[in-house]
Amino acid sequence: MDKKIKILLSKLGLDVHNRGVITVARQLRDAGMEVIYLGNALPTEILNTAVQEQVDIIGVSSLGGAHITLGKDLIEEAVEEGLKEKMIFVIGGIFSIEDESKLKDIGFDGVFTAGATKDEIVGSIHSFVKERAGQ
Amino acid sequence: MDLDKMRTKKILAGADKNADTNPLYNPEALKKIKKKFDAFKSTFEGPDSRCNWELTPQTILGSNIPREMLYTPLHCPDTDYSFDLGMAGNEPFTRGIHTNMYRGKKFTMRQINGYGGPEDTNKRMRFMLGHGGTGVSVIFDLPTIQMYDSDDPISKGQVGMSGVAIDSAKDMEILFAGIPIDEVTISLVSHYPSNTAILFPMYLAAAEKKGISLDSLKGSVQNDITLEEVVRSGPEYIPPQDCFRIQCDNIEYIRKNVPSFNFVTLNGYNLHEFGTSGVTEMAVAVSNAIETLDELIKRGYDVDWAAKRLAFFWSISSDFFEEASRIRAVRRLWYKIMKHRFKSKNPRSMWMRCHVQTSGISLTRQEPLNNLIRASIQALSAVLGGVQSLHVDSYDEAFSVPTEESALLSLRTQQIIQEETAITEVVDPLGGSYYVEALTNDIEKRILEEIDQIEKVGGYVKAIEKGWIHNKIAQYFYEEKEKIENGEIKFVGSNIYKAEKNKNPSLEIFKYPEGVEERQKASIAKLKMERDNEKVSSTLKALEDACRKNVNIVPYSLECARAYCTCGEIFKVFKKAFGLWRPPVMW
Repeated sequence: MDKKIKILLSKLGLDVHNRGVITVARQLRDAGMEVIYLGNALPTEILNTAVQEQVDIIGVSSLGGAHITLGKDLIEEAVEEGLKEKMIFVIGGIFSIEDESKLKDIGFDGVFTAGATKDEIVGSIHSFVKERAGQ
Repeated sequence: MDLDKMRTKKILAGADKNADTNPLYNPEALKKIKKKFDAFKSTFEGPDSRCNWELTPQTILGSNIPREMLYTPLHCPDTDYSFDLGMAGNEPFTRGIHTNMYRGKKFTMRQINGYGGPEDTNKRMRFMLGHGGTGVSVIFDLPTIQMYDSDDPISKGQVGMSGVAIDSAKDMEILFAGIPIDEVTISLVSHYPSNTAILFPMYLAAAEKKGISLDSLKGSVQNDITLEEVVRSGPEYIPPQDCFRIQCDNIEYIRKNVPSFNFVTLNGYNLHEFGTSGVTEMAVAVSNAIETLDELIKRGYDVDWAAKRLAFFWSISSDFFEEASRIRAVRRLWYKIMKHRFKSKNPRSMWMRCHVQTSGISLTRQEPLNNLIRASIQALSAVLGGVQSLHVDSYDEAFSVPTEESALLSLRTQQIIQEETAITEVVDPLGGSYYVEALTNDIEKRILEEIDQIEKVGGYVKAIEKGWIHNKIAQYFYEEKEKIENGEIKFVGSNIYKAEKNKNPSLEIFKYPEGVEERQKASIAKLKMERDNEKVSSTLKALEDACRKNVNIVPYSLECARAYCTCGEIFKVFKKAFGLWRPPVMW
């Protein structure tokens, strides 16, 4: 049997909107993943928790406009700590189309915007995990 | 036992029975209608039925209220016109709180403003007022709302995002420079009791600097525990009981000292949008209002003194008739609660005054121009419901904060309804529709039923502490998301009639001004050099003592504002004095 995928979810910084991330947390749990929800946190705390919990994936949510600044911090810190290759990074929230591609350039494996469905999110995560395993 | 006696549903049931009924429809006529109606209805039953007689519309943020095919007097057979509807501006206010409604007083066209530093938002506010806006809503950035300073490490990258950055009374002075705040009504979207206790005193300090007397200030704060303890996601929370006390302190202080200001806006909006039905939205806000009035009465005030400027804020979503009926239903229910539960004597306290906003969650990223249509229809339903003040969402909000152009378009939507359609020339035009009256009755019952559930849990603050509200909402929005994904709830251009090629819209997206964070950091540094730091420490200490004692904290927080204490400094005092609370897990 496949190992259960373990994912850490967090709100990035001070963003107040958490309906999306809570919904995703439940969807991923229902899809058989082990989900840890950290609440609001900054990149360093997110990465520390991810290491402690030995997760496969880090998912962050941002609807307040700080996705580029804090998203970049998260990826850069992950690279410094040697975590970027070990874990998969996904982000969800309200982004302009321009920022959607910027976030991919920054290094997020998956970028999900308003309207992303459970199938899209779960499907992408499975394929990211498969890709990594194949490497 | 005592608690059971105070149950709103029981009190109102008693009151309804006492009324002398004078039914609008005579029993003979109803009998005749029933005969024809039954025959008509029977053609829809059976396996070959053309379609079901009854269905439950599936719409975003809807209340799952079943609807029949056709409505007749049989759906509201006991209607007593004077008792249930009456004249506008008269009890029970179902038809509106003012006698002449929009002919006398147009709805306030109040659009939200707020981004960047105080000077940026000042510019946008002047633009909107210059184009016929009749009020201003100011929304604050994430650090300000969450009560951290722009130079706090946790604020990085978020200063001036989705709202304006305010660190001290100095920034309030800049924000309102050149704006006649003794003439224009200002709504400060200070969501939480805690940040209302921080930001409103800063506003007062800025008004004092302008030489404006506090009694000429008009507008609203939000000041709602629901937002701080239920709807918000934040790193730190103070306990619900303390939060509720601050809410009541704010009300008490503002009612006494800033008499024309709405001291609480019971905010259903953010709760509804967070993910709950329109019925729960109203049940929660009304329960909060009931508990707040109970507390103010306990503090020794007369209910009519306390209730005079109470206001509500609702989100108007897509089920057109449900939304208009909901406003009418809660207006009548609020009247009954004030009259029978609180024995109010002043009709003004019985007014369910409200500001509404069209639904943000109903906006889609695909084909964003469709959002213009959605928001216009929602706005129309709000106006037909008889609201006092309106914000229309902009079509580009699934991407970012609205641009100047799209914000203007939202204002234009309101102006078109107001000036071009004649909709506002007749009071409560939907009144008397069998469908709308039946739906209004049904919704009123449902709201009261949910208020009763909350009261059975032990009241509103208890329902928060126990996680009852959190769980109810989480369950709703999880199920709703599934319905959107499986297409039960339809979004044109998004999950139905999808365009073959999903081309990206050519939208000009709002861009935040650059360098706001640096500017705010520099101005805090300068402020800390220039202000009297001893005074800062002593006012903060006095505030902390007040928090621990049984006194109103707002005068102390006003002293802090006058001394140019920062948001972060004042919130630290609250956290120290009240301790931290962990909200219930929602999934």
